[in-house]
Amino acid sequence: MKKTKLGEFEELVLMTVVVLQEEAYGVEIKRELEDRLSETLSVGSIQSALKRMEEKGFLTSEFGEATQKRGGKRKRIYSATPYAHRVLKEMKDVRSQLWAAMPNVATS
Amino acid sequence: MNKKNQHIAPTRWSIKLLRTFVKKEFLEEIEGDMEEVFQENLEKYSVKKARELYHREVIKLLRPVLVKKLSGDLKLNQLGMLKHNIILSLRGFKRYKTSFLINLIGLSTGLSASLLIFLWINDEMSVDKFHKKDARLYQVMQHDPRPDGIETDTGSPALLAKALIAEMPEVESAVTVNNRGGVGSHGIISAGDQSIETTGTYASSDFFNIFSYPLLAGQPESVLKEQADIVLSESLALALFGSTEDIIGKLVKGNRHLMNKDYRVSGIFKDLTRHSTAQFDFVINYETVFANVDWLNEWNADGTNTYLTLKEGTNAQEFNEKIKNFLLDKPSRENDQLSIQQYSSRYLYGDYVNGVQSGGRIGYVRLMGIVALFILIVASINFMNLSTAQASRKMKEVGVKKVFGVSRKSLVAQFMTEAILTTFIAVIAASFLMSLVLPAMNEITGKQLGQNLSLNLVLMMLAIAMVTGLIAGIYPSFYLSQFKPIAILSGKLKSTFGDLWIRKGLVTMQFVISILFISGFMVVSKQIDFLQNADMGYNRDNIIHFVMRNRADQKPFLESLKNTPGVINATYQYGGSIVGLNGSGSGFSWGDPMQNEEIQFRRPHVGYDFIETLGIELLEGRTFSPEFANEQNTLIINEAAAKIIGLDDIVGRTIMDGDDEKQVIGIVKNFKIKSLYEPMEPCIMRFVPQGWDIMVKIEPEAQSETINKIEALYNSFNPEYPLVSTFIDDEHRAVYIAEQRVGTLAKYFTVVAIIISCLGLFGLAAFTAERKIKEIGIRKILGSSVFEIIKLLSGDFSKMVLAAILIALPLSYIMAARWLENFAYGIELKWWSFAIAGASALLIAWITVGFQTFKAATVNPAECLRNE
Repeated sequence: MKKTKLGEFEELVLMTVVVLQEEAYGVEIKRELEDRLSETLSVGSIQSALKRMEEKGFLTSEFGEATQKRGGKRKRIYSATPYAHRVLKEMKDVRSQLWAAMPNVATS
Repeated sequence: MNKKNQHIAPTRWSIKLLRTFVKKEFLEEIEGDMEEVFQENLEKYSVKKARELYHREVIKLLRPVLVKKLSGDLKLNQLGMLKHNIILSLRGFKRYKTSFLINLIGLSTGLSASLLIFLWINDEMSVDKFHKKDARLYQVMQHDPRPDGIETDTGSPALLAKALIAEMPEVESAVTVNNRGGVGSHGIISAGDQSIETTGTYASSDFFNIFSYPLLAGQPESVLKEQADIVLSESLALALFGSTEDIIGKLVKGNRHLMNKDYRVSGIFKDLTRHSTAQFDFVINYETVFANVDWLNEWNADGTNTYLTLKEGTNAQEFNEKIKNFLLDKPSRENDQLSIQQYSSRYLYGDYVNGVQSGGRIGYVRLMGIVALFILIVASINFMNLSTAQASRKMKEVGVKKVFGVSRKSLVAQFMTEAILTTFIAVIAASFLMSLVLPAMNEITGKQLGQNLSLNLVLMMLAIAMVTGLIAGIYPSFYLSQFKPIAILSGKLKSTFGDLWIRKGLVTMQFVISILFISGFMVVSKQIDFLQNADMGYNRDNIIHFVMRNRADQKPFLESLKNTPGVINATYQYGGSIVGLNGSGSGFSWGDPMQNEEIQFRRPHVGYDFIETLGIELLEGRTFSPEFANEQNTLIINEAAAKIIGLDDIVGRTIMDGDDEKQVIGIVKNFKIKSLYEPMEPCIMRFVPQGWDIMVKIEPEAQSETINKIEALYNSFNPEYPLVSTFIDDEHRAVYIAEQRVGTLAKYFTVVAIIISCLGLFGLAAFTAERKIKEIGIRKILGSSVFEIIKLLSGDFSKMVLAAILIALPLSYIMAARWLENFAYGIELKWWSFAIAGASALLIAWITVGFQTFKAATVNPAECLRNE
């Protein structure tokens, strides 16, 4: 696998997965992100980000319990791989270095 | 909106959609997510809104990562099957080339013929539909009770439009428009030293608001505001000024036929298309006519048409009731009732009988529609017959597939694919054929079909083609897929009794249609022939007609005309040549005026030598002659009139023409004035000292030279207008142009229908012969003659065709009789013309089958028997 890029939206979803821990399944991620970004997201956008990241090896998943609210369908709980944690960390480092290097003008 | 006791689900088809495209391995999770979101939304919004949101979410799930792949392990199965089916069909085509070709030729000929007809119908239906206010645009019809029934036409008083606006709140706007050919519609317009002879109309100022003739210059609301305003067509403007730029406000002059006035150009309209029934090259404000023609200011004058738009939401039916008696309280209008007809329907529904709408050109449109449908049926039947006949070839395939568990549904799909694929190839062939035939078709119909094909039109045509494919494919698919595998594979199934019957029935139906076509064509062409060569009671050969408007010089002109070499005789009259003369009226009386002054007569005004030039036979008395004075006080009548008047020794006696006493000086044999649609009418000819319409009988030899001499003579009299001469023979033919066109079309489509039927028969015959080849071999060995074998093979077909003849002949007789009712002078239907139609169908069938049969009958039995 070539060095995989993580898109901006994907990064957000990935971090949400880490934050939510055991609760990280589709709709919960959607809710959490909607709250934080205060905008509406579609199931499709979350799902496609999840599937892509799973394919790239950032996420693993397993079936969780089924609820009545889901019409008896099981949840799929996602968790981040160590590789994902590493990439997140790297990105954070790059960002903080860049922030540090920025002249102190634009924050007003 | 939380209803706990009741489960609310998203719309079923949204869920279905979701399930069809989302990858199987994601389905449970995503469906669950969607359901959860839906339940949440239910708490926030209404059920409807939640369902809508759900559906939107489904659409948003269409992402590459989530959607099933088109190929690979988890491909969309339908697509794979389709591919498989197409391959199977193509292999089938390759293997059975003859039946594929027969199918293809039959279908593509049938399709192209019916699509051409569809184009023609579509063109007919679109006439006058381009006006934006079409749905609210009406023309006023006037019903005039006469002794022989109510006469309906579009003429109405010029004052009507204004009165309607003032008195009828439902009327949004109404305009008075000059009749076609009415006062001052033809004349010369000049600008500077350019003079153009042209035809146009006069209309109230709202004209361009009501009708949507596109304007190149000027605003619809204001172009006809002033009395002297004139709006020119693009081509007339170009002819007058050489340009359409900067001519607004310029003055043009109308000659004495155009009120002798100066007009101010206030706008330019785009040249009218052939989809407009109204044709004109200029429009002048109608106020000009009111100011110059006094009699049009009276209620008793008809000479104009009235068009109106109703306000939005007005019920036309109710308005019709209201307008019915509108005229009755107007001066000298105590009888005339009004009604409105939608403007765009006037082209197709133009005929009125006794005040009631009774069709018109729509009759031809329907006729052609039926023809197209029949052709498609014939072509589809071919397909059905050939496909089912080949069942034996496909039985083993079906049997094996069924044993392996292929469902009937997918077998049907396979055969439908084959049918639709054939149709699709046929469509391509048909569009090629159409492009070849279109110019000829346009020639015949006088249209420009296929020039601007809209996407809609193309889609419609594709839809017609596909529906044909479906219909043709349905029966074979279900028929072929129904076989029981055990019966097929154990070889017990031959062919069932029932399907043979259906096939025979279908062939019979094809021939019923073909015979209908043949006899229909024979009747139509005979009738047209009859109309064109009918004895009109006058000799219309070698007579030319033209218009000469200078009244002053007419006498010397006629004198010199008669002395021109090549000219036999010449006469004059008003109102067109003898072919175009119309108009009839009452007012003649004799004996007790109360009894007869309402009787209608044709009453043309004619000049000297009218009878002689036209070669009408004089039975008694004399004709109009310059040797007698006071010819204005004499009348010549025809036999029919003499019979009605019923006086003995009528020549020399006087009858009343209105208030004048006139002497009858002669009786002529009956002759026809208008078309043969109308019955022979009694006619009383009045004398007129001069007239615009000149008819000249010329020698049959060197006619173009004679016409040149006439033109030279005409030009020497300083005419305002150039000479335009026509042979009245051609004018006569033009009256029947619609029949002529339908007749020609009928001829070609008959041939198409017959060819297609024969193709089917040919295919079936070939197939039968092939299947019976062993039987033939054995029979021949046992001593059958060639003739007996031919009898054996063609017997079945002959029976089918005979049955078709029995069904078709009465049908075609009824149809022909009904069509001929349209004509006052129809041909007599002879039994033998139907016998010919039947016999020719039989003969055609025999020839088609005969070739195959003969080939089979003369086969060497050793050849066909040796391989078993």
